[in-house]
Amino acid sequence: MRTSLQKKTRIYMAVGFSLLAVILVAFVISLTHLYVYDPNSTNAAAKLLPPSSDHLFGTDNLGRDVFARCMEASKYTLLVSFCGVFIAFVLGTLLGMPAGYFGGITDKFIMLISNSVMCFPGILLALVAVAVFGPSLFNVVWALGLVFAPTFARVYRTGVIGLSSKEYILHAKVLKVNPMRIMLLHIFPNLVPQLLPAVVIGLANMTLFESGMSYLGLGVQPPHASYGKMLADAQSYMTMAPWLIVFPALLLVIYVLGLYFLSEAARLSFGGERR
Amino acid sequence: MEQAKYIGKRLVELFLTLLVVSFLTFAAFSIIPGDTASVMLGPNATAEQLSALRSQLGLDLPMSVRYLEWLKGAFTGDLGNSYAYSQPVISLITDRLPVTIGMSILSLLMVLLISYPMAILSGRRPGSLSDNTLSVFGHVLFALPPFVLSMLIITLASAAFGIYSVGRYVKPSSDFFGYLGCLLLPSFCIALPKIAMTFKFLRASIIEEKASDYVRTSKSHGLSDVSIMFRHILPNSTVSTITVISLVLSDILGGSLIVEQVFNLPGLGRLLLAAISRRDFPLLSGMVFYLALITVLLYFAADIVSALIDPRMRNNREGTL
Repeated sequence: MRTSLQKKTRIYMAVGFSLLAVILVAFVISLTHLYVYDPNSTNAAAKLLPPSSDHLFGTDNLGRDVFARCMEASKYTLLVSFCGVFIAFVLGTLLGMPAGYFGGITDKFIMLISNSVMCFPGILLALVAVAVFGPSLFNVVWALGLVFAPTFARVYRTGVIGLSSKEYILHAKVLKVNPMRIMLLHIFPNLVPQLLPAVVIGLANMTLFESGMSYLGLGVQPPHASYGKMLADAQSYMTMAPWLIVFPALLLVIYVLGLYFLSEAARLSFGGERR
Repeated sequence: MEQAKYIGKRLVELFLTLLVVSFLTFAAFSIIPGDTASVMLGPNATAEQLSALRSQLGLDLPMSVRYLEWLKGAFTGDLGNSYAYSQPVISLITDRLPVTIGMSILSLLMVLLISYPMAILSGRRPGSLSDNTLSVFGHVLFALPPFVLSMLIITLASAAFGIYSVGRYVKPSSDFFGYLGCLLLPSFCIALPKIAMTFKFLRASIIEEKASDYVRTSKSHGLSDVSIMFRHILPNSTVSTITVISLVLSDILGGSLIVEQVFNLPGLGRLLLAAISRRDFPLLSGMVFYLALITVLLYFAADIVSALIDPRMRNNREGTL
């Protein structure tokens, strides 16, 4: 059974990386000298052109090149999801680690706050934060970071509680090692099996959230391209110019799917699914 | 006795959570940069007009007083009037509730009705062809954002087959089945990624239960696979999946806010966007609080249900709340 598990992990990893490679190849093509369209330059003479060798993914209603816009959207998606996950991860560490380690009233208090934040449907919290403080890239990032922080806090807390009864941790405690040192040097490395899949899946989820928010007009702001906004704009040309929907949707799904497969591979490779 | 103690403990936690949730909601809308009165009256307002409006809206009172007032209003269903609509917030919300709640319930039903058979089929024989097919299918579903799915389905249903018109909505009081018909496709779009999620957890839990001793014992006693699956494995797997289902429910609520926008339905999502674009804070805070309230109560219900099914949950497992 062990070999089949490893085989499955390898397959998942291969699929994940190849899906992400598709995005990377597309990105490299967009940087070559053969393909130099400005994602924001409009061209009245080239409205709603179907895909061709000139415009790989066709053009939109303002004559902008869809391929170039997709690449710009990928750039912002990556930026938002990586920064957002970083913020969520740091906040989650600061909240979840002490909660699990010290337990008692510290734990009760931190978990009360983090569970209360989790009670707001995630997208609602992000939308309202962005609406209230203005839709800028910076606000989108920290709002998403805030929304995702409790998830990481939870992963940490469960992991730390699980590890606390291990002998090497008890040993360190008996020797009166500084709690900071125990948490960072002894506990943190041993939580990687739980944290890595959570980070990768967090990237995927944050991408989905960001696209939903920009679909509603509250994510990355125009004139910058974003997948959600491109799709929202494309809705009026659904039957006339299906390529406006097909390509951005496809790239978005490929990216999320790639991350998802990678997170599954990470989970399985650390023995996440015992049979 | 033990059960009553457990429920009592959960009730205290429920109360504390509600307090924090309400305070967070209130605080978020109090620290907003900008003065509501000057936004409402425009740049030409005089100082007297501004202070008159402030005292009319109660903005000149200290924050603690305003919080208590707001809290009282939130639980008695009186959150004042919306700035933009000049109507009571509560009636604006209840007007739109049938769409959002109807969609959420339909989606939940779909999630349960589809993910259970999928998980049973898949968990029955892990690694088999049907398991692998369903798992890959589940991964793909998970990666599809609901609004992209909605756009695809709208294109198929309305453009290709002409069986659906976007934005059609019938009130449940006038034609209940027409109302359900309008909500069917949007609910399906919200449900699909959640089906994938529930399926994944339920499948893992079924596989785990299958390896346990009681299954082996039942088997040696000569019970058929079918009866082991339905009488023993499924109830046990359901207990560990209830937490996931309550998380799914809160996602469904959030998802419906976006999907009803794609389908152009008059639900809470549209009201939310209108409130955001007009900076209508009484309406916004009301919506945020009530949606969170629904979620808190759902989590609470999930905890109670799993405690009733499984006595172990009362002692050594932390609940969702």
